[in-house]
Amino acid sequence: MATLVKQLKRTSPVLLYAAYLLLALTLLGIGLSIYRLVVGLGPTTNMNDYYPWGIWISIDLFLIPVAGAAFTISLISYFFGRERYHDVIRPAVLAGVIGYGVVGILLFLDIGRWFQFYNIFNPRYINLHSFLEEISLCVTLYTGILILEILPVLLERWNIQTPTRWINRGIYIIAGAGIVLSALHQSSLGSLFLLMPYKLHPLWWTPALPVLFFFQATYTGLSMTAIAVTLIWRARGIPLDRELFRRIGQAMALNLLLYLAIKAGDWMGAGEVPLLLKPDAYGLLAWFELIIGVFVPMAILFSKLIRHSAAPFWAGVFALIGTFINRLVISWIGLAEPSPVVYTPHWIEIAITLGIMSGGVLLYALIAYYFRLLPERHASPTT
Amino acid sequence: MSTISRKDFLKILGLAAGSAFLPTVRAQAAIGEADDHVAMLYDSTLCVGCNACTNACRQWNHTTPEPDAEGLHDAPQALSADTWTLIQLYKEGDEYAFVKRQCMHCVHPACVSGCPVQALQKTPQGPVTYDPSRCIGCRYCMYTCPFHVPRFEWDEVIPKIAKCTFCYDRILDGKGPACAERCPTGALIWGRRADLLAEAEKRLAEHPDRYVNHIYGKDDAGGTSVLYLSAVPFEKLGLEDLGTEPIPQLSEDTARVVLPGIIIGGPLALVAIHWISKKGAWEETWPL
Ligand code: SF4
Ligand code: SF4
Ligand code: SF4
Repeated sequence: MATLVKQLKRTSPVLLYAAYLLLALTLLGIGLSIYRLVVGLGPTTNMNDYYPWGIWISIDLFLIPVAGAAFTISLISYFFGRERYHDVIRPAVLAGVIGYGVVGILLFLDIGRWFQFYNIFNPRYINLHSFLEEISLCVTLYTGILILEILPVLLERWNIQTPTRWINRGIYIIAGAGIVLSALHQSSLGSLFLLMPYKLHPLWWTPALPVLFFFQATYTGLSMTAIAVTLIWRARGIPLDRELFRRIGQAMALNLLLYLAIKAGDWMGAGEVPLLLKPDAYGLLAWFELIIGVFVPMAILFSKLIRHSAAPFWAGVFALIGTFINRLVISWIGLAEPSPVVYTPHWIEIAITLGIMSGGVLLYALIAYYFRLLPERHASPTT
Repeated sequence: MSTISRKDFLKILGLAAGSAFLPTVRAQAAIGEADDHVAMLYDSTLCVGCNACTNACRQWNHTTPEPDAEGLHDAPQALSADTWTLIQLYKEGDEYAFVKRQCMHCVHPACVSGCPVQALQKTPQGPVTYDPSRCIGCRYCMYTCPFHVPRFEWDEVIPKIAKCTFCYDRILDGKGPACAERCPTGALIWGRRADLLAEAEKRLAEHPDRYVNHIYGKDDAGGTSVLYLSAVPFEKLGLEDLGTEPIPQLSEDTARVVLPGIIIGGPLALVAIHWISKKGAWEETWPL
């Protein structure tokens, strides 16, 4: 660690300060999290009987498709047999482990009766009708699978090989199980709202929610991959693999197109186009989300810009913003009840969110520095 | 919500291929059983707003009054962790009416369908009960309930969900709900659901001029155990039109199709994709 600090001080002091800032935020977040567990949700959040879910759930709903990077990349590289993608599996899986870790911690802090959270694993209690239960089980299992997938990266540093051999032998089973579990919980996240036909705004409520969430997860995961890989490779001074990037861009474009087709089809089928043309907040929000999150990335990916190696990065950034808005509307703004009070997050809610996420980013950066995330031939001279 | 066209669209997508076989009779069968559930009938035209019922609820369930600013009256504004039932006044010009709010004890409760740990349960007698020893405090029930009923003890370090239990402890003792037994005017009565429905039909038939011609809760949201009669349109009392399909139907049907579909179809699809790509069939055409 000390050498890393010294080296950073010399080469890029800005990065060092950023790391200190992340560390400070993380420590603050941990302290406030403990405070929240001790005093309860009332004093630390602004959630209330009309908005029983707050910013934490919105962040979870956003981070899960982002962490789905591992799912999309495993699917493409192991099952579509695209060797090139092997290079990005490790960064994507690591993002997955950390992303789901952050989600897990936020959920734990969010539930009021956290001291008996393990009831979701009690076979005598679990409700198989409940998509929430199904998501809880799938996410837990899937996190285990991601840890298995990333284990070789950690173990190879100490040259421990036996577990890695076993994992590599079963990698198709492990990756396959991960993909099935992802397909289940990514779509079920949308199914969560099927029980709220009279609560969620009609522009967002549709029986097709599970399908929409699924395709949104695939393109969001690809976006995250494009962003993470661009950043890592830039940081390491490795030239980008243009062909790979063009293909990631095309896969994104394909999934965006499917998403748009289903969304538009649903609006037309349900006769909700007039709602879209109504100049109220919801109509505008729907357009805003669609333009930023779908049209702009598609415009980048379908035009000549795709030849530019930064195209998937920028398309990804916009798609991510779009997904964020979408999940924010579905879990908060569009779920408004007839209510005398409005929910805006308490500063402690925001500080805890930022803190836990900062911790995640810091951990990612450290692992990316100390372990071999990229294949041998790209290894930069510094390691 | 135009569910017909929605369903058509889903069929076009071929996603709900199995939905044609889904047991739509299930709902009917369960409503048959609901005949014997305990229920309440609240006749808004007979209610004088005396709050005998809400006080009875407080006494029996030991909830804390929520006084107004002067501290003179117990004046809760809405259902809360401490207020499981509430009499609200609707007033427009000279016309006014009361309405009693509480858990509807739905025949097909969405809260029960969504609760991950079966902390909320539909008892065989009809009441929907809550077991804090199971609850994880996720608050999903607060969103799934179409009547905005479950409330949360936000200020407790160890919080619980709070809502009307239909005085299930009294029901098990062979008594009626505290609120209905206290009502002095007969506006709130309790009994077998089928008998109360018959009574409501009778009142509608005898005084068609007095009532809106609808028993709210007979089929609304798939049927509820708290039934309402009113002289003013139900929406004005805050009893919205929620259709007649049980709220959990779509969610549970989707689970029945999608979950086995992905668990069985997923691995098969993966094997197929792997096999095709091994043959190199998509090498140039598939845009990945
Ligand atoms: S009214 Fe709400 S809380 Fe009561 S049974 Fe129905 S869904 Fe559950
Ligand atoms: S808050 Fe408790 S009762 Fe409500 S859905 Fe969650 S676990 Fe069930
Ligand atoms: S049935 Fe019991 S718990 Fe429910 S409102 Fe009446 S008195 Fe209160």
